[in-house]
Amino acid sequence: MPGLLQDKKFFGEDIPWLCALREKGADIFRRLGVPGAKVEDWKYTKPRILNADDFVWPEAPAAHECSCGCSHHNGEDCCCKQNLPLEAYQIRFENGFWQHEHNHLPEGVTVLPLDEAIADNEICRRWLGKIAAMENAPFAALNTAYLENGVFICIERGVKLDKPLAIISHTCAGESNLFYNLRNLIVLENGAEAEIVEYFHYSGIEKSRYFANIVNEVMVGKNAQLRHYKLQDEAFKAAHVSLSTVQVKADGKYHHFCLQKGADLGRDEVRVKLLDKGAETRVDAAYKMSGWATLDTTTLIEHISPETYSEQLVKGVVDGEAKGVFQGKIHIAPNAVHTEGRQLHKALLLSDTAEIDCKPELEIFADDVKCSHGAASGELDEEQLFYMRSRGIDEDEARQILVEAFLDDVLLKVDSESVRSWLKSKL
Amino acid sequence: MTPLLEIEDLHARVGDKEIIKGFNLTINEGEVHAVMGPNGAGKSTLSYVLTGKPGYEITSGSVRFKGKDLTAMSTEERAREGIFLCMQYPVEIPGVPTATFLKHAVNAVRKHQNLPEMDTFEFLKLVREEGQNLGIGNEMIKRPVNVGFSGGEKKRLETLQMSILKPDLSILDEADSGLDIDALKVVAGGVNALRDGKRSMLVITHYQRLLNYIVPDYVHIFADGHIVKSGDKNLALELEEKGYADFVREK
Repeated sequence: MPGLLQDKKFFGEDIPWLCALREKGADIFRRLGVPGAKVEDWKYTKPRILNADDFVWPEAPAAHECSCGCSHHNGEDCCCKQNLPLEAYQIRFENGFWQHEHNHLPEGVTVLPLDEAIADNEICRRWLGKIAAMENAPFAALNTAYLENGVFICIERGVKLDKPLAIISHTCAGESNLFYNLRNLIVLENGAEAEIVEYFHYSGIEKSRYFANIVNEVMVGKNAQLRHYKLQDEAFKAAHVSLSTVQVKADGKYHHFCLQKGADLGRDEVRVKLLDKGAETRVDAAYKMSGWATLDTTTLIEHISPETYSEQLVKGVVDGEAKGVFQGKIHIAPNAVHTEGRQLHKALLLSDTAEIDCKPELEIFADDVKCSHGAASGELDEEQLFYMRSRGIDEDEARQILVEAFLDDVLLKVDSESVRSWLKSKL
Repeated sequence: MTPLLEIEDLHARVGDKEIIKGFNLTINEGEVHAVMGPNGAGKSTLSYVLTGKPGYEITSGSVRFKGKDLTAMSTEERAREGIFLCMQYPVEIPGVPTATFLKHAVNAVRKHQNLPEMDTFEFLKLVREEGQNLGIGNEMIKRPVNVGFSGGEKKRLETLQMSILKPDLSILDEADSGLDIDALKVVAGGVNALRDGKRSMLVITHYQRLLNYIVPDYVHIFADGHIVKSGDKNLALELEEKGYADFVREK
């Protein structure tokens, strides 16, 4: 029966380096496999559902056809064609396939389907596969084995993108257990600035099962700034595994914010290397869940050089029998003096059966650094609930207000007001 | 005279401890009653029992509000029916702007009264009008509920809530605690503005001072879980002179 590794016809089978890269990914995945309970990195989040033997590759949707499979509204206003309610450049993927969109991009901004970029773009060829790790990342290896679909984004030296660029990934799985990979390469040259929003959603059968396996390779040049926002709102039986591997050069800034609220198994993993002096990152996340889901936020911040800075705030709300996982590692290399790394995780447990697993790790090999981590979990404050109810506010409404209030400070880390209010509306 | 609140032989406990023991009180429409008692008499417990705070359990007796069984209602239902508790220690709610909180409260009560919900514009106008006399401006309601508020600001916000929710029965639990004389006057002014011959108040306090500003129709002395003596406003003055010891001993 077909598991995650299947024979498949690829684009670019005549490009030797590409074939070699895919083969390397396939080899590593064959060796590592779907991680079991003994793999430290996955000990809280057990990806058992990825051992399924009924994975099916999605078919590329025919042109001009509505691909979401909703027969009731086949047209431009269909759920799968909807753009974000944001003033933004928008790119759409349907079951992992690029959908053509007209965007009048400013000069100095390149946005291409990954296969086209592999064929034509020198910068893409230079970086693709060079940033993402595979040895200790089985699903990134798997993603590389199937490297084909995704987007290549390049912001040229000194160019500031005037509005956010949204990458919308919509899935409609129907009856079958779809499996697709997306590979995005994002390069900000020196002094460039951009805001990128990733949005994962679905429509169709409520209990759709599918596996979206995402890898982002990100390069932030000297003095460049990337704000990378993400909303994971997949189907509640779906699996979503994402790894963003980021390198930040001198005085560059990378900000990641991810809100996870969908999927049965959701993992947003971010690995940031602060390569040179003055490089800075914020990696923030929020999660809100119920049912039986497991949502995982895993981060690795590597301070390679002196005077690099990182800060993290992760907050989650867990209800039902769901499980929230936070694993955050800060690594400070031997010569990386005068660095600062801070990390804080806070969770709100709304039921007796909700669970939080938290694993902060500091690996400090340099003296004269400032580093801290903290973790706390608690319940809703009874006094606050009573106060609101004593003013006539319904108990459920009061709980909702308090949950939103709990997540408020982490959402405030999203600089863009329009993105922030869109995310708030999705809570 | 139409009775608004009727409490008969009320017994209530917190955990295993009985605190309210045979409490009787009837408040008619338009009346202001003061309940005075020493520390530990059960004054705050009384206010929480009447508003249905979890953990405060009625073991026997009855409480009727507008003829309905109050004990069968949830905290929010009591509030929507017109009971308001002005708290001794208003609760801080970080992350929730005061305006958001107030708007939810106003619309919850309006919905119950079959009135259309207020939009932001109408709501802000209401707050501006009612807030003016209390010295509450737009700046204050943008801040999270009670977070970083001074004692006076907290009590003014309680009074503002009372002014815009217009409850039929206001329960004021130690409304003067933590207030200087100027703040006390402002709060009392807000409370007195609600006295229209229809609305009623239950003023719980252990000092007579507050009653100089909110003048009660009746004064009750509350000790050991029940009322030991009732009278008019002069009883409060007598109490101020003699202290509680005499009255508590009388029983």
